[in-house]
Amino acid sequence: MLEIDGIAAAYGNIEALRGVDLLVEEGGITCLLGPNGAGKTTLMMTIAGILKPRRGTISFLDRNITGMTPSGVVRRGIALVPENRLVFPDMNVHENLVAGAYLRLGKRKSQVQQDIDHVFERFPRLQERSKQMAGTLSGGEQQMLAVARALMARPKLLMMDEPSLGLAPLVVEEIFRIISDLNADGTTIFLVEQNAHMALQVADHFFLLEQGQVTFSGKPGQLSEHEVIQRAYLGKGPQRNQPAADQGRPDRTTLPSG
Amino acid sequence: MVDFIQNCLDGIMLGSSYALLAIGFTLIFGVMRRLNLSYGPSIMVGAFVGTLVYLEFKANAVAIAAATVVGAVIVGIYVERLCFRAIRRGAAVASMVSSFVIWMQLEEIVTVVFPDRTYFFPPMVTADPIDLGPFFFKVENIVMFAVAAVMTVLLHWLLQYTRFGLALRAVSENPRAALFMGINVGAVMFLAFVIASAFGGVAAYLIVSADGQITPLFGLWATFKGLIAMMLGGMGSIPGAILGGLLLGVVEAQSIWYLGTEYRDLSAYFLLFLFLVFRPGGLMGQLAVERELAATRRV
Repeated sequence: MLEIDGIAAAYGNIEALRGVDLLVEEGGITCLLGPNGAGKTTLMMTIAGILKPRRGTISFLDRNITGMTPSGVVRRGIALVPENRLVFPDMNVHENLVAGAYLRLGKRKSQVQQDIDHVFERFPRLQERSKQMAGTLSGGEQQMLAVARALMARPKLLMMDEPSLGLAPLVVEEIFRIISDLNADGTTIFLVEQNAHMALQVADHFFLLEQGQVTFSGKPGQLSEHEVIQRAYLGKGPQRNQPAADQGRPDRTTLPSG
Repeated sequence: MVDFIQNCLDGIMLGSSYALLAIGFTLIFGVMRRLNLSYGPSIMVGAFVGTLVYLEFKANAVAIAAATVVGAVIVGIYVERLCFRAIRRGAAVASMVSSFVIWMQLEEIVTVVFPDRTYFFPPMVTADPIDLGPFFFKVENIVMFAVAAVMTVLLHWLLQYTRFGLALRAVSENPRAALFMGINVGAVMFLAFVIASAFGGVAAYLIVSADGQITPLFGLWATFKGLIAMMLGGMGSIPGAILGGLLLGVVEAQSIWYLGTEYRDLSAYFLLFLFLVFRPGGLMGQLAVERELAATRRV
């Protein structure tokens, strides 16, 4: 469904992605795991059209979407639940949802209202708080709102950037239950996570991203959870045999001394 | 007591023009999180365009007002392209400094084109003040208040009930998230700038025609009044801009009456000082830090 081929992207001179190849299959949950700074969010930004890649192509449903504007990407059917949720704090829940359907607002108002009713069925807690300002919601509710808002764009592919970030364990479980439900109802999901334990439970396929490159691709179970967690948090692959003192900062040994 | 109430009424009418200036400022700040120092000077140029139309064609009040607004919007677009669009987001100081440079440029251009500095500006109406019991009202002040009220209602409708208004609010709350919704953030910012300039143009016409004259120093004056009113109300808040403008007007009117004309600006600065010390977020504003926290609340 989503094919990423040799994508390289940079902030100024710092190259964050160095030729990433990745495939998201239609109908499944694909996970991207990796340590902080590996380039996970950068990849999301590049797919969403916020960041222009230096090299490589992104295609979605067999059409090239490389370098498309963010609104073009949303129109094609990709919606993003951003890291830290980024709800609109001084708008109420209802308005946040309407904003999610922004591109359809001109022509299809009644359809948007139907979708809001639909989303409220899925998230009754949001309906209760429909007139409440999003900034006053709890973190878990804000995360639900961010998911619901992205659904308002009627995405074929839902990308989620660290939906468990900063949430209590029980809330994290609820969020992952929602992810499974959405997937069961036919939405393809591309999930970026730090929480490898939870991610591996729902994923059909997962990728490890380390230092801007994909270093592993496979099904959960092909790699022991222990190793995934180690690599997802510390970013240290077993192929590099380095002294224990250097764990976590593998570049040290290659720097000139002094 | 009659004096006090009369001053309050005068102050509210004067303050309604400050409110328009502050709304323009706050729209730009709210959407871009950047300060446009050449806001005052660009509407000053608009007022000189109005003067030009009057001098050349002896035009009527409506045409002069229209010329003032159009002039302010065109110069506003020039400022947006140069100081905001051309400078990438995040470089707020660079935008502010370059808008200061454009301020100087606009003042120089006006001084070159209009060498006499002070020009007559035709009044919008010539009518006697209206008496209402112990109070009296100047007609131009009533018009000023009425126009400001209508424009504020229009803006409220635009922001709350239209698709563009939703986009504008989304961009001002979180431009990054607005992008993810498919909102064309650049276009929204541009239109916000145009609306702000139009508000400024209307305010400029109302103020300058009530004064009966225009000088290049009007730009500095308008920037100060708008900026102070915005900061009193809370940066980025439109209800705040209205309240701040009215408060500033009332305080000025009272100090003119009880202390003398020379205390008008001094009292405005003193009021600002008090706010900065005791309520730095303004009447309606939150500090930026609090907003960030609300947007990314944990658990």
